[in-house]
Amino acid sequence: MLNILVCVKQVPDVNLVKIDPETGSLIRKGVPAILNPHDENALEAALQMKERYGGFVTCITMGPDQAEEALRECLAAGADRAVLLSDRAFANADTLATSYVIVSAARTLGSFDLVFCGKESLDGATGQMASQLAERLDCSQLSCVEEILDLDERAGTLTARRCLERGFETAEARLPCLMTVEKSRYRVRIPNLKSWKASRKAEILRFDSRSIPGLDPAQIGDPGSPTKVPRTYPPAVGQRGRMLDEGSTEKTVEKLLGLLAGEH
Amino acid sequence: MSAYNKLTPELARELETLVGPGRFQYGDRVKEEYSHDEMPIYGRHLPEAVVLTETTEEVSAVLRFCWEHSVPVTVRGAGTGLVGGCVPLCGGVVLSTARMNKILRYDLKNLVVHTQPGVLLCDLAADALAHGLMYPPDPGEKTATVGGNVSTNAGGMRAVKYGVTRDYVLAMTVVLPSGEVMKLGKTVCKTSSGYSLLHLMIGSEGTLGVITELTLKLIPKPLRDVSLILPFANIAEAIASVPAIKLANLDPQSIEFMERDIVDSSAAFTGTPVFPTVVNGREAGAYILVTLVGGSEEELTLKMDRLGQVAQEAGAFDTLVVWTDNLKKDVWAARSAFLTVIEAETKLLDEMDVVVPVDRIAEFLVYTHDEAEQQGVYVRSFGHAGDGNLHIYCCSNDLEEEEFKRRVKKLMDACYRKCTEFEGQVSGEHSIGHAKKEYLRESVGDTAYGLMGAIKQVFDPKGILNPGKVCHDPERGWDAC
Repeated sequence: MLNILVCVKQVPDVNLVKIDPETGSLIRKGVPAILNPHDENALEAALQMKERYGGFVTCITMGPDQAEEALRECLAAGADRAVLLSDRAFANADTLATSYVIVSAARTLGSFDLVFCGKESLDGATGQMASQLAERLDCSQLSCVEEILDLDERAGTLTARRCLERGFETAEARLPCLMTVEKSRYRVRIPNLKSWKASRKAEILRFDSRSIPGLDPAQIGDPGSPTKVPRTYPPAVGQRGRMLDEGSTEKTVEKLLGLLAGEH
Repeated sequence: MSAYNKLTPELARELETLVGPGRFQYGDRVKEEYSHDEMPIYGRHLPEAVVLTETTEEVSAVLRFCWEHSVPVTVRGAGTGLVGGCVPLCGGVVLSTARMNKILRYDLKNLVVHTQPGVLLCDLAADALAHGLMYPPDPGEKTATVGGNVSTNAGGMRAVKYGVTRDYVLAMTVVLPSGEVMKLGKTVCKTSSGYSLLHLMIGSEGTLGVITELTLKLIPKPLRDVSLILPFANIAEAIASVPAIKLANLDPQSIEFMERDIVDSSAAFTGTPVFPTVVNGREAGAYILVTLVGGSEEELTLKMDRLGQVAQEAGAFDTLVVWTDNLKKDVWAARSAFLTVIEAETKLLDEMDVVVPVDRIAEFLVYTHDEAEQQGVYVRSFGHAGDGNLHIYCCSNDLEEEEFKRRVKKLMDACYRKCTEFEGQVSGEHSIGHAKKEYLRESVGDTAYGLMGAIKQVFDPKGILNPGKVCHDPERGWDAC
């Protein structure tokens, strides 16, 4: 039976985030928090592996109390266990400190054959977590997985098709293996009522900085984060667009083509 | 015989001064888009001029001018109609309200919003939500104008709980064909004060007057909502569940149905398969999509339990819970995009928007599919199961246009006859325009049709407003009705 870990994050719905024109900072007030969409795909991939080969899926996240909601979504879709890492001492963590806490907690949960995570988060979008987790867990890593083709438990290998810029690649990796997946084949399922109701009552396993054995305070939260964000600001607005209207579609297209030709 | 005058260059110059050069098109400068709505199969008719008005005063001046010179005027919002309602059959002037797109003010104590008619439905809905309020009418076409919605008495997906656009119009400013400005209705909750001219104006498709301002009722935004997908083996089983759902005391906000074909088309078009096609190992043939609202998660859970039980007894494969914002957005965006999907995959298209008693929906759909097969066209259908309003699209990618029209006419004749036999209505929310006039007459009978014509005659004795629509015949002059 496969032991599968899915790392998820609750993020603000960035489509609804506005930027304060005075300060340039993000206005997060009133913006709904959602499960990072790329993590939904990771979850679905994990659930499909569980269905195919048998397994146990654990979802883990680091965040404030309300991140529980994201974990309940995972449980509703079919995850077996949810783990919340929450402590004020974890605040202001960059990816280095976050991956340290997640891997430290994951080790207390057992050893995992497969680890899935989203390719990036909707808010930070660094895309660094997957590689950092793989490095810390000392496992192989496959990114941009379009489809997991096969898993040979006896040989301890996995074959997957990766979606690259200029085509597809079939790759084989040793277990344990961490993967980030593409969404085309791994769109998260809609839970049924029974599963959804169970998820609302399910117990969430919680860890804080004291309950994760051997956690080094210097490597967590703000002190453990070499990345600092001194300022956020919206990109400068470029030249305003120009509307063309020459009276008819044909004439307008002609004018547009003329302008484009003149520019190059 | 035409009773109308052409808009000569001299008249056009005069008309232009009423709105200014940036908001006037004449002759060659009239854009092609003004010649049709979203159903060009009913014919394209270019107007002689287009005016883009911004105020009630401008609308009044334009109508007075056209009245004096017997020039026809056709009002147009966003042009998203489906029965040729905004198409200028007799040429003349298209009066566009697209620039009258300001939400004027909210009166939060009385829960109303004052708005111009050219505001888009999606903009009004979002703005009201930002005020913690909801504008309940929710037609699938979100880029329609509210003026257009009022003129067609649009319904939409939440009509089963909240009613239709008519139920949310408290007052309006309207310009009569002569140019006279009139206020109809008041910002109050009840009236028993004579004939309701306000309600006559609603759904009159721009044939009686031009709406220039609206006072619309709002409601507090529901605290929580959840949507549920019920997959069934086929459309008959899906529709058979609807009366039981309505009887379960759940007060659902919407009960929509969709056949598998349209779900597959939507998935292929968007590349995003939202609705699961295989559920618990069984192929779904049709779906019911229900939205429930409530004050708390506990309340919704109780309602969902009851719905789940009803669904199971009705033969649903499962009850799927669309709880998260991400999923809700995807599911409802997919539902709202069905028409766009059909338009994208179809060369030739015609539509029906009939309303039948809820317990006859499945029978009507089976009949339509059979008739369509006989005529060699295919059908895509979805709609509002909760109120019996079906959107049925007859499509072909192989036939020549004239042959398609000939066959679809036969199909439509048969289907509207069946609709009348079922005590149904010709249109639930898309209206009559000029495309469905014949079927309206057959459905309501000569006396009622004649009364409609007489009302038109009272409001618009010269017949200049949107000629040829609903119950008006432009060929027979302004006394034709």
